[in-house]
Amino acid sequence: MELAQGIVKAAALLGAGMCMGMGALGPGVGEGFVAGKACEGIARSPENASLITRTMLVGQAVSESTGIYSLVIALLLIFST
Amino acid sequence: MVKKKKGSILKVFLIFFVLELIIVFLSSDFNKQLQIGFQDGKFVFRNVQTTYDLQEKITEEFQIDEHYKRTGEEPKIYQSNKLYEFFKKIFGKASAIGTFQLLRMLLIVDFVLLLIAFLIKKRIFERPSKPQIMFELLYGAFEEFVVETLSEKRRHFTPYIVTLFIFIWICNMIGMIPIPGFMEPTRNLNVPLGLGFAAVVVVHVTAIKTKGLWRHLQNYINPVKNPLFLLDIVGEISKVVSISFRLFGNILGGAIIILVVSSLVKYVVFPVGLNLFFGIFVGTIQAFVFTMLALTYIGVEVVE
Repeated sequence: MELAQGIVKAAALLGAGMCMGMGALGPGVGEGFVAGKACEGIARSPENASLITRTMLVGQAVSESTGIYSLVIALLLIFST
Repeated sequence: MVKKKKGSILKVFLIFFVLELIIVFLSSDFNKQLQIGFQDGKFVFRNVQTTYDLQEKITEEFQIDEHYKRTGEEPKIYQSNKLYEFFKKIFGKASAIGTFQLLRMLLIVDFVLLLIAFLIKKRIFERPSKPQIMFELLYGAFEEFVVETLSEKRRHFTPYIVTLFIFIWICNMIGMIPIPGFMEPTRNLNVPLGLGFAAVVVVHVTAIKTKGLWRHLQNYINPVKNPLFLLDIVGEISKVVSISFRLFGNILGGAIIILVVSSLVKYVVFPVGLNLFFGIFVGTIQAFVFTMLALTYIGVEVVE
Protein backbone atom coordinates (compact mmCIF):
# COMPACT_ATOMS: atom_id res chain seq x y z
CA MET A 1 0.00 0.00 0.00
CA GLU A 2 2.82 2.41 0.93
CA LEU A 3 4.74 1.63 -2.24
CA ALA A 4 1.68 2.08 -4.44
CA GLN A 5 0.93 5.48 -2.86
CA GLY A 6 4.53 6.53 -3.34
CA ILE A 7 4.48 5.53 -6.99
CA VAL A 8 1.24 7.46 -7.54
CA LYS A 9 2.66 10.57 -5.85
CA ALA A 10 5.90 10.37 -7.85
CA ALA A 11 4.00 9.95 -11.10
CA ALA A 12 1.77 12.93 -10.24
CA LEU A 13 4.77 15.15 -9.49
CA LEU A 14 6.53 14.07 -12.69
CA GLY A 15 3.34 14.71 -14.64
CA ALA A 16 3.01 18.17 -13.08
CA GLY A 17 6.54 19.08 -14.14
CA MET A 18 6.02 17.82 -17.69
CA CYS A 19 2.66 19.57 -17.85
CA MET A 20 4.19 22.93 -16.95
CA GLY A 21 7.16 22.44 -19.26
CA MET A 22 5.13 21.59 -22.33
CA GLY A 23 2.33 24.00 -21.48
CA ALA A 24 4.76 26.90 -21.28
CA LEU A 25 6.07 26.29 -24.81
CA GLY A 26 3.02 27.50 -26.70
CA PRO A 27 2.29 30.72 -24.76
CA GLY A 28 5.98 31.65 -24.88
CA VAL A 29 6.16 31.38 -28.66
CA GLY A 30 2.77 33.06 -29.10
CA GLU A 31 3.47 36.02 -26.83
CA GLY A 32 6.86 36.61 -28.40
CA PHE A 33 5.26 36.62 -31.84
CA VAL A 34 2.63 39.13 -30.71
CA ALA A 35 5.25 41.40 -29.16
CA GLY A 36 7.37 41.29 -32.34
CA LYS A 37 4.38 42.17 -34.51
CA ALA A 38 3.51 45.02 -32.14
CA CYS A 39 7.08 46.33 -32.45
CA GLU A 40 6.72 46.30 -36.24
CA GLY A 41 3.40 48.12 -36.00
CA ILE A 42 4.78 50.82 -33.70
CA ALA A 43 7.79 51.30 -35.98
CA ARG A 44 5.48 51.74 -38.95
CA SER A 45 3.03 54.12 -37.25
CA PRO A 46 4.35 55.59 -33.97
CA GLU A 47 1.24 57.73 -33.47
CA ASN A 48 -0.85 54.62 -32.77
CA ALA A 49 1.55 53.35 -30.10
CA SER A 50 -0.88 53.41 -27.15
CA LEU A 51 -3.64 51.59 -29.05
CA ILE A 52 -1.19 48.96 -30.28
CA THR A 53 0.23 48.45 -26.79
CA ARG A 54 -3.25 48.00 -25.33
CA THR A 55 -4.27 45.51 -27.97
CA MET A 56 -0.96 43.68 -27.58
CA LEU A 57 -1.41 43.30 -23.81
CA VAL A 58 -4.96 41.99 -24.17
CA GLY A 59 -3.92 39.58 -26.90
CA GLN A 60 -0.99 38.32 -24.89
CA ALA A 61 -3.16 37.78 -21.84
CA VAL A 62 -5.63 35.80 -23.93
CA SER A 63 -2.96 33.65 -25.58
CA GLU A 64 -1.44 33.06 -22.15
CA SER A 65 -4.57 31.24 -21.03
CA THR A 66 -3.45 27.82 -22.31
CA GLY A 67 -0.39 28.13 -20.09
CA ILE A 68 -2.64 29.06 -17.21
CA TYR A 69 -4.78 25.97 -17.82
CA SER A 70 -1.67 23.79 -17.63
CA LEU A 71 -0.71 25.59 -14.40
CA VAL A 72 -4.12 24.76 -12.92
CA ILE A 73 -3.75 21.11 -13.96
CA ALA A 74 -0.25 20.98 -12.46
CA LEU A 75 -1.51 22.43 -9.18
CA LEU A 76 -4.32 19.86 -9.14
CA LEU A 77 -1.79 17.07 -9.71
CA ILE A 78 0.50 18.33 -6.93
CA PHE A 79 -2.05 19.11 -4.24
CA SER A 80 -4.88 16.65 -4.75
CA THR A 81 -3.05 13.34 -5.02
CA MET B 1 24.21 72.26 6.69
CA VAL B 2 21.06 70.75 5.33
CA LYS B 3 22.99 68.44 3.07
CA LYS B 4 25.02 67.16 6.01
CA LYS B 5 21.85 66.43 7.97
CA LYS B 6 20.39 64.50 5.06
CA GLY B 7 23.56 62.44 4.81
CA SER B 8 23.51 61.53 8.49
CA ILE B 9 19.87 60.49 8.29
CA LEU B 10 20.72 58.32 5.31
CA LYS B 11 23.56 56.74 7.27
CA VAL B 12 21.26 55.91 10.18
CA PHE B 13 18.79 54.34 7.77
CA LEU B 14 21.57 52.35 6.16
CA ILE B 15 22.76 51.04 9.53
CA PHE B 16 19.21 50.01 10.43
CA PHE B 17 18.82 48.37 7.05
CA VAL B 18 22.02 46.34 7.42
CA LEU B 19 21.06 45.35 10.98
CA GLU B 20 17.64 44.25 9.81
CA LEU B 21 19.20 42.27 6.96
CA ILE B 22 21.44 40.42 9.43
CA ILE B 23 18.58 39.71 11.83
CA VAL B 24 16.36 38.54 8.99
CA PHE B 25 19.05 36.25 7.67
CA LEU B 26 19.62 34.77 11.11
CA SER B 27 16.03 34.43 12.15
CA SER B 28 13.63 33.77 9.32
CA ASP B 29 14.67 30.46 7.95
CA PHE B 30 12.15 27.69 7.79
CA ASN B 31 14.41 25.29 9.65
CA LYS B 32 15.91 27.74 12.14
CA GLN B 33 14.37 30.17 14.54
CA LEU B 34 16.34 32.67 16.55
CA GLN B 35 15.70 32.60 20.27
CA ILE B 36 16.68 35.66 22.33
CA GLY B 37 15.81 36.06 26.00
CA PHE B 38 16.30 34.71 29.48
CA GLN B 39 15.84 31.06 30.22
CA ASP B 40 16.70 29.33 33.51
CA GLY B 41 18.54 32.42 34.69
CA LYS B 42 20.85 32.52 31.66
CA PHE B 43 20.88 34.83 28.68
CA VAL B 44 20.00 32.76 25.63
CA PHE B 45 20.92 33.62 22.05
CA ARG B 46 20.76 30.58 19.82
CA ASN B 47 19.09 28.96 16.86
CA VAL B 48 16.24 26.58 17.57
CA GLN B 49 15.87 23.79 15.07
CA THR B 50 12.29 23.23 14.04
CA THR B 51 11.06 21.22 11.13
CA TYR B 52 9.06 23.47 8.86
CA ASP B 53 8.02 22.05 5.53
CA LEU B 54 7.58 24.31 2.51
CA GLN B 55 4.77 22.06 1.30
CA GLU B 56 3.01 22.43 4.65
CA LYS B 57 3.42 26.21 4.47
CA ILE B 58 1.85 26.28 1.01
CA THR B 59 -0.99 24.08 2.24
CA GLU B 60 -1.58 26.40 5.19
CA GLU B 61 -1.64 29.42 2.91
CA PHE B 62 -3.79 28.07 0.07
CA GLN B 63 -5.85 25.17 1.44
CA ILE B 64 -6.46 26.22 4.98
CA ASP B 65 -9.28 23.72 5.51
CA GLU B 66 -6.99 20.89 4.44
CA HIS B 67 -4.29 22.15 6.79
CA TYR B 68 -6.53 22.18 9.84
CA LYS B 69 -7.97 18.81 8.89
CA ARG B 70 -4.47 17.35 8.71
CA THR B 71 -3.16 18.83 11.95
CA GLY B 72 -6.40 18.10 13.78
CA GLU B 73 -6.49 21.29 15.85
CA GLU B 74 -9.34 23.78 16.07
CA PRO B 75 -8.68 27.04 14.24
CA LYS B 76 -9.24 30.33 16.04
CA ILE B 77 -10.94 33.30 14.46
CA TYR B 78 -10.22 36.65 16.14
CA GLN B 79 -8.84 35.05 19.32
CA SER B 80 -12.13 33.34 20.13
CA ASN B 81 -13.96 30.25 19.00
CA LYS B 82 -17.51 31.61 19.15
CA LEU B 83 -17.47 32.88 15.57
CA TYR B 84 -15.94 29.62 14.39
CA GLU B 85 -18.68 27.60 16.07
CA PHE B 86 -21.28 29.80 14.39
CA PHE B 87 -19.72 29.24 10.96
CA LYS B 88 -19.36 25.52 11.65
CA LYS B 89 -23.11 25.31 12.23
CA ILE B 90 -23.83 26.90 8.84
CA PHE B 91 -21.19 25.45 6.52
CA GLY B 92 -20.30 22.19 8.21
CA LYS B 93 -16.94 21.29 9.69
CA ALA B 94 -15.04 20.68 6.49
CA SER B 95 -14.96 24.19 5.06
CA ALA B 96 -15.82 26.55 7.89
CA ILE B 97 -12.57 28.49 8.16
CA GLY B 98 -11.95 28.80 4.40
CA THR B 99 -15.48 30.04 3.77
CA PHE B 100 -15.15 32.48 6.64
CA GLN B 101 -11.93 33.93 5.21
CA LEU B 102 -13.39 34.26 1.72
CA LEU B 103 -16.53 35.95 3.03
CA ARG B 104 -14.48 38.29 5.21
CA MET B 105 -12.28 39.35 2.29
CA LEU B 106 -15.29 39.83 -0.01
CA LEU B 107 -17.00 41.99 2.63
CA ILE B 108 -13.85 44.07 3.03
CA VAL B 109 -13.64 44.58 -0.73
CA ASP B 110 -17.31 45.55 -0.88
CA PHE B 111 -16.79 47.97 1.98
CA VAL B 112 -13.85 49.62 0.18
CA LEU B 113 -15.95 49.87 -2.99
CA LEU B 114 -18.87 51.48 -1.11
CA LEU B 115 -16.48 53.85 0.68
CA ILE B 116 -15.00 54.98 -2.63
CA ALA B 117 -18.47 55.46 -4.10
CA PHE B 118 -19.72 57.57 -1.18
CA LEU B 119 -16.55 59.67 -1.00
CA ILE B 120 -16.69 60.40 -4.71
CA LYS B 121 -20.40 61.14 -4.64
CA LYS B 122 -19.97 63.56 -1.75
CA ARG B 123 -17.25 65.54 -3.48
CA ILE B 124 -18.69 66.17 -6.93
CA PHE B 125 -18.16 69.87 -7.65
CA GLU B 126 -18.10 72.18 -10.63
CA ARG B 127 -14.38 72.54 -10.17
CA PRO B 128 -13.37 68.91 -9.72
CA SER B 129 -11.25 67.71 -6.82
CA LYS B 130 -8.29 65.37 -7.35
CA PRO B 131 -10.06 62.00 -6.80
CA GLN B 132 -12.94 63.18 -8.95
CA ILE B 133 -10.57 63.89 -11.83
CA MET B 134 -9.01 60.44 -11.44
CA PHE B 135 -12.31 58.59 -11.50
CA GLU B 136 -13.69 60.75 -14.30
CA LEU B 137 -10.64 59.83 -16.38
CA LEU B 138 -11.22 56.14 -15.63
CA TYR B 139 -14.93 56.38 -16.44
CA GLY B 140 -14.22 58.37 -19.60
CA ALA B 141 -11.70 55.84 -20.87
CA PHE B 142 -14.09 52.93 -20.33
CA GLU B 143 -16.96 54.88 -21.87
CA GLU B 144 -14.80 55.31 -24.96
CA PHE B 145 -14.19 51.54 -25.12
CA VAL B 146 -17.90 50.82 -24.72
CA VAL B 147 -18.85 53.26 -27.49
CA GLU B 148 -16.16 51.81 -29.75
CA THR B 149 -17.14 48.19 -29.16
CA LEU B 150 -20.93 48.45 -28.91
CA SER B 151 -22.46 51.63 -30.27
CA GLU B 152 -23.44 55.14 -29.27
CA LYS B 153 -26.93 54.12 -28.07
CA ARG B 154 -25.56 51.38 -25.78
CA ARG B 155 -23.68 53.81 -23.57
CA HIS B 156 -25.60 52.53 -20.52
CA PHE B 157 -23.33 49.47 -20.26
CA THR B 158 -20.51 51.65 -18.91
CA PRO B 159 -21.44 51.48 -15.18
CA TYR B 160 -21.46 47.67 -15.24
CA ILE B 161 -18.10 47.51 -17.03
CA VAL B 162 -16.43 50.08 -14.75
CA THR B 163 -17.79 48.40 -11.61
CA LEU B 164 -16.50 45.04 -12.83
CA PHE B 165 -13.05 46.52 -13.44
CA ILE B 166 -12.80 48.34 -10.09
CA PHE B 167 -14.09 45.32 -8.15
CA ILE B 168 -11.60 42.89 -9.70
CA TRP B 169 -8.81 45.45 -9.39
CA ILE B 170 -9.41 45.98 -5.66
CA CYS B 171 -9.69 42.19 -5.24
CA ASN B 172 -6.27 41.73 -6.85
CA MET B 173 -4.62 44.59 -4.97
CA ILE B 174 -5.87 43.72 -1.50
CA GLY B 175 -3.65 40.65 -1.22
CA MET B 176 -0.56 42.86 -0.96
CA ILE B 177 -1.55 44.28 2.43
CA PRO B 178 0.62 42.36 4.90
CA ILE B 179 -2.00 41.43 7.49
CA PRO B 180 -2.32 37.73 8.46
CA GLY B 181 -5.32 36.16 6.79
CA PHE B 182 -5.55 38.75 4.04
CA MET B 183 -5.78 37.16 0.62
CA GLU B 184 -7.12 37.97 -2.81
CA PRO B 185 -10.75 36.81 -3.06
CA THR B 186 -10.04 36.01 -6.72
CA ARG B 187 -7.62 33.35 -5.50
CA ASN B 188 -10.69 31.23 -4.72
CA LEU B 189 -12.22 29.75 -7.87
CA ASN B 190 -15.79 30.55 -6.78
CA VAL B 191 -15.38 34.31 -7.15
CA PRO B 192 -14.14 34.42 -10.79
CA LEU B 193 -16.62 31.69 -11.71
CA GLY B 194 -19.47 33.78 -10.32
CA LEU B 195 -18.27 36.90 -12.10
CA GLY B 196 -17.91 35.04 -15.40
CA PHE B 197 -21.35 33.47 -15.04
CA ALA B 198 -22.85 36.90 -14.37
CA ALA B 199 -21.11 38.27 -17.47
CA VAL B 200 -22.54 35.50 -19.67
CA VAL B 201 -26.01 36.09 -18.23
CA VAL B 202 -25.68 39.77 -19.14
CA VAL B 203 -24.60 38.75 -22.66
CA HIS B 204 -27.68 36.56 -23.21
CA VAL B 205 -30.12 39.06 -21.72
CA THR B 206 -28.73 41.71 -24.06
CA ALA B 207 -29.01 39.36 -27.04
CA ILE B 208 -32.62 38.51 -26.20
CA LYS B 209 -33.43 42.20 -25.81
CA THR B 210 -31.99 43.10 -29.21
CA LYS B 211 -32.97 40.07 -31.33
CA GLY B 212 -36.00 38.73 -29.53
CA LEU B 213 -36.27 35.47 -27.58
CA TRP B 214 -37.25 33.17 -30.44
CA ARG B 215 -34.63 34.42 -32.89
CA HIS B 216 -31.93 34.13 -30.26
CA LEU B 217 -32.99 30.64 -29.18
CA GLN B 218 -32.93 29.37 -32.77
CA ASN B 219 -29.13 29.60 -32.73
CA TYR B 220 -29.05 26.91 -30.07
CA ILE B 221 -31.95 24.55 -30.82
CA ASN B 222 -32.63 24.71 -34.56
CA PRO B 223 -30.46 22.25 -36.56
CA VAL B 224 -31.73 23.57 -39.90
CA LYS B 225 -30.73 27.16 -39.39
CA ASN B 226 -27.54 26.43 -37.50
CA PRO B 227 -26.11 22.94 -38.22
CA LEU B 228 -23.36 23.31 -35.59
CA PHE B 229 -25.72 24.17 -32.75
CA LEU B 230 -24.12 21.66 -30.38
CA LEU B 231 -20.77 23.38 -30.77
CA ASP B 232 -22.38 26.69 -29.92
CA ILE B 233 -23.81 25.30 -26.68
CA VAL B 234 -20.38 23.94 -25.72
CA GLY B 235 -18.90 27.32 -26.68
CA GLU B 236 -21.16 29.12 -24.24
CA ILE B 237 -19.98 26.88 -21.41
CA SER B 238 -16.34 27.26 -22.44
CA LYS B 239 -16.75 31.06 -22.38
CA VAL B 240 -17.44 30.93 -18.63
CA VAL B 241 -14.65 28.42 -18.01
CA SER B 242 -11.99 30.28 -20.00
CA ILE B 243 -12.77 33.76 -18.67
CA SER B 244 -12.83 32.64 -15.04
CA PHE B 245 -9.95 30.16 -15.07
CA ARG B 246 -7.68 32.78 -16.64
CA LEU B 247 -8.18 35.22 -13.75
CA PHE B 248 -8.06 32.47 -11.11
CA GLY B 249 -4.92 30.82 -12.48
CA ASN B 250 -3.02 34.06 -12.88
CA ILE B 251 -3.72 35.25 -9.34
CA LEU B 252 -3.18 31.85 -7.69
CA GLY B 253 0.02 31.17 -9.64
CA GLY B 254 1.37 34.61 -8.79
CA ALA B 255 0.60 34.10 -5.10
CA ILE B 256 2.32 30.68 -5.05
CA ILE B 257 5.39 32.05 -6.88
CA ILE B 258 5.61 34.98 -4.43
CA LEU B 259 5.43 32.61 -1.45
CA VAL B 260 7.95 30.07 -2.75
CA VAL B 261 10.54 32.51 -4.13
CA SER B 262 10.42 34.81 -1.11
CA SER B 263 10.92 31.85 1.20
CA LEU B 264 13.92 30.80 -0.94
CA VAL B 265 15.55 34.24 -0.60
CA LYS B 266 14.55 34.41 3.10
CA TYR B 267 12.18 37.37 2.74
CA VAL B 268 14.92 39.93 1.94
CA VAL B 269 14.40 42.66 -0.73
CA PHE B 270 13.09 40.27 -3.42
CA PRO B 271 9.40 40.07 -2.35
CA VAL B 272 9.00 43.79 -3.13
CA GLY B 273 9.84 43.25 -6.79
CA LEU B 274 7.73 40.09 -6.93
CA ASN B 275 4.75 41.92 -5.47
CA LEU B 276 5.27 44.79 -7.92
CA PHE B 277 5.12 42.39 -10.86
CA PHE B 278 2.61 39.73 -9.79
CA GLY B 279 0.49 42.03 -7.63
CA ILE B 280 0.26 45.34 -9.43
CA PHE B 281 1.16 44.55 -13.06
CA VAL B 282 -0.49 41.16 -13.52
CA GLY B 283 -3.44 42.15 -11.32
CA THR B 284 -4.20 45.27 -13.34
CA ILE B 285 -3.71 43.50 -16.68
CA GLN B 286 -5.97 40.61 -15.71
CA ALA B 287 -8.70 42.91 -14.38
CA PHE B 288 -8.53 44.85 -17.66
CA VAL B 289 -8.59 41.66 -19.74
CA PHE B 290 -11.60 40.31 -17.85
CA THR B 291 -13.59 43.49 -18.46
CA MET B 292 -12.51 43.74 -22.10
CA LEU B 293 -13.50 40.12 -22.77
CA ALA B 294 -16.90 40.62 -21.13
CA LEU B 295 -17.37 43.70 -23.33
CA THR B 296 -16.32 41.75 -26.44
CA TYR B 297 -18.78 38.93 -25.67
CA ILE B 298 -21.57 41.50 -25.41
CA GLY B 299 -20.40 43.13 -28.62
CA VAL B 300 -20.44 39.85 -30.58
CA GLU B 301 -24.09 39.24 -29.68
CA VAL B 302 -25.21 42.80 -30.32
CA VAL B 303 -23.62 43.58 -33.69
CA GLU B 304 -25.34 41.49 -36.35
